[in-house]
Amino acid sequence: MEDEMKDRSLSDVKVLDFTGELGPYASKLYAGLGADVIHLEPITGDPLRKKGPFFKNEKENMEASLQFLYYNGNKKSLVVDLHRKEGKEIFLRLIKNTDIFMESCVPGFLNSLGLSYEKLKEINPKLVQTSITPYGSVGPYKDYPGSDLTCSAMGGFLYLAGIDNEKPVRACDNQAYRMAESYAAVGSSIALLHAKRTGKGQFVDVSAMESVGMALENSAQYWDLEGTIRRGRGKEAGSATVHPCKDGYFAIVAIMGKNKIMWDPFVKWMKDENVQECEVFEDPRWIEPSYRRSDEGYETFCRIFHRFTMQHDKMALYEKGQANRIALSPVSNGKDLLENPQLKHRNFWQTIEHKNLGGEVTYPGAPYEFSDLDWRFGFPAPEFGEHTARILESLQYTGDEITVLAEEGIVNV
Amino acid sequence: MSNSGSNFKKALEGLVVCDFSWVGAGPITTNVLGQCGAEIIKIESLKRPDILRKGGPFKDGIAKGLERSGYFANRNPNKRCISLNMRQPKAREVAIRLIEKSDIIINNFRVGQMEKWNLGWEDVKKINPRIIYVTMSLQGIDGPHKSYMGFGVNLNALCGLTAQACNPGQSPFGTGTNYTDHVMVPTHTLFGIMAALLQREKTGRGQTVAISQLESAIAMKPTDSMVYAANGEIMGPMGCTDPNAAPHGVYKTLGYRKWLAIAVFSDDEWLALQKVMGDPAWAADEKFSTLAGRKENEDELNQKIEGWTKDRHATTLMRQLLDNGVKAGVVNDARAAIEDEHLIERGFWSYLDHPEVGRTLYNRAPIMFSETPTQMIKAAPLLGEHTDEVLTGFLGYSNEELEELKAQDVLT
Repeated sequence: MEDEMKDRSLSDVKVLDFTGELGPYASKLYAGLGADVIHLEPITGDPLRKKGPFFKNEKENMEASLQFLYYNGNKKSLVVDLHRKEGKEIFLRLIKNTDIFMESCVPGFLNSLGLSYEKLKEINPKLVQTSITPYGSVGPYKDYPGSDLTCSAMGGFLYLAGIDNEKPVRACDNQAYRMAESYAAVGSSIALLHAKRTGKGQFVDVSAMESVGMALENSAQYWDLEGTIRRGRGKEAGSATVHPCKDGYFAIVAIMGKNKIMWDPFVKWMKDENVQECEVFEDPRWIEPSYRRSDEGYETFCRIFHRFTMQHDKMALYEKGQANRIALSPVSNGKDLLENPQLKHRNFWQTIEHKNLGGEVTYPGAPYEFSDLDWRFGFPAPEFGEHTARILESLQYTGDEITVLAEEGIVNV
Repeated sequence: MSNSGSNFKKALEGLVVCDFSWVGAGPITTNVLGQCGAEIIKIESLKRPDILRKGGPFKDGIAKGLERSGYFANRNPNKRCISLNMRQPKAREVAIRLIEKSDIIINNFRVGQMEKWNLGWEDVKKINPRIIYVTMSLQGIDGPHKSYMGFGVNLNALCGLTAQACNPGQSPFGTGTNYTDHVMVPTHTLFGIMAALLQREKTGRGQTVAISQLESAIAMKPTDSMVYAANGEIMGPMGCTDPNAAPHGVYKTLGYRKWLAIAVFSDDEWLALQKVMGDPAWAADEKFSTLAGRKENEDELNQKIEGWTKDRHATTLMRQLLDNGVKAGVVNDARAAIEDEHLIERGFWSYLDHPEVGRTLYNRAPIMFSETPTQMIKAAPLLGEHTDEVLTGFLGYSNEELEELKAQDVLT
């Protein structure tokens, strides 16, 4: 029993990641639990390497893209030209020993190279192939070009990020892509367990536009059940609103629906702080959502509350509010997060030395903890083609053969 | 696993989930497992129903009872629901019988609640050493803020999603939803559960999976902190922009709250957009010819683009642009997304029949499996709808025992 426990990782899971700007977080989830992840890059390099922001703003350095560095930590880089016959041969040898092949190619591209799922399945019947694309590989839009913004828009997610007639705003870090990737990781793992139980792999199709459909909250049901179209929350006094303070902003949920039990501690807090006019909050009309949503309600709330909040920093309000059992939290920026005492206490941030960049890069850490598995950041994201030679050797290519492949531009070592 | 070699039609067939979770991220997690064939037994009580049953919208706008919420329904299809009053000591015995038969037990209560019922990990692993024990704390189980409270909107703000989601000069807005609850937390929980199940294939043992909602959210939005640590810069309001693209935004079109999203990254895409616009003279200006130039003159560029879109129909423009290789998408509201031909053809939406509200709208998980498709079979359960059948059919209680438990107020 003890011996079995020593391997606290998914080291027996082999993932081949042929994604770029859309896709890399899916296999990062595997890399974080110690799976063997090879990042296959085209001979021109993963396009994400050219996307900012960059470490020390080194825009021309293809090893300095912060997004590339984060999403490809603990992966190995293999650079192969799949358009060439010899490149395809390398790929097929690799597929034989792969559990999950993730790709974000334009639907039909791999087929055009003669590398369709049907072909790959002949070589490896247990193979799970997960395709992550803007629209998916079936459906009328499948051949259209898409981006994070357009997928967010078409799936109904973007519309919610605004009120009244205002144009919507975007969430950071390409969330339509992230949603697709995280569901692709989940779908792949479900298909992998199934393959282990049955010996049968399958093709898993994930669309970013469709994935954002998971984030519509209750808006689809508002249309279906009540015939109404909702937008974002944010103008109902004290109920999921954002307010200014001395050094920025914070969010508060002091009441939901007609829940007076939630509201009472807020009123008490305001009294304890001797906030001028706070006795107004004792009026029972604050328990009515319709009053809180009215211009008068919202403006009155802000007028009285901001007198207090503008005297304090967001972290002070966070602590005071929580001490009073109010769901109040700061609107954090990157600096706030790095300095957050809870995240510090939990050693969340991971600082990794990058010799090739001459400095340290700080990354988000573990999203979860297990009793029998360890999360790890792992080794730094690979340099372009860093592991090509070693991977080719493991596929039984000789040193001479590898030299020839490199000279002919079929691989980059 | 003993089923090796058999031919499953559903990927997670045979797995049983003892589901104590409620409200948001927990039920969304088990919803996905259920669609993949796991048997989800949702535990509620009339004394403590899933509070989302009281959250709008309600069928025909009538907020009566506990069975009309669409918010609740869409997170809970394909599940069986038993009513179990955990305040009664005998309820624990029912829970134990279920735990004995379960592969996964999940809760998203405040830290300590399960332990109060003597159903913490240490107790549960003695009952069933193969079980995966899932908890979903807000900020982890130790540290100075471990007991801090918050809802989705708080977590959005705290994790850094809200700060940049605003227009310059305005107050931060965010996604307008409890976004973290819908995707970031459930997908990490799902992946954690699957990793633990894969590990169990090797070890034969269960384990704990502890999600910190804050930490899993940050893992999906790394850039703001990384940039501050690397370059000392604080990332500002994004509006609808992208640092690597211009034009990149949403533009007014004909109609009430109708906008078109356009995203132009490369110079080729910019040329294609000019062509669709009919090659207007302003667009040939050299200052717009490179990405750097377009970024520098982005406000002016956006005004010009909107001058072209505002008198046109969003759907027509979208087709023209997509056909010419320009990334464009209508900013669909929920109705338009429900009626979108692509999502319909992919079978994303389904209508399931419910005894009290009839046929209403659900969506499946955004994963299309070629061999084991997700299944949408049953509408969300009534509270306690399956108490009798689960206790007598699945847990092996006799009718007499069932009646006795009812008389003792255990099954309310």
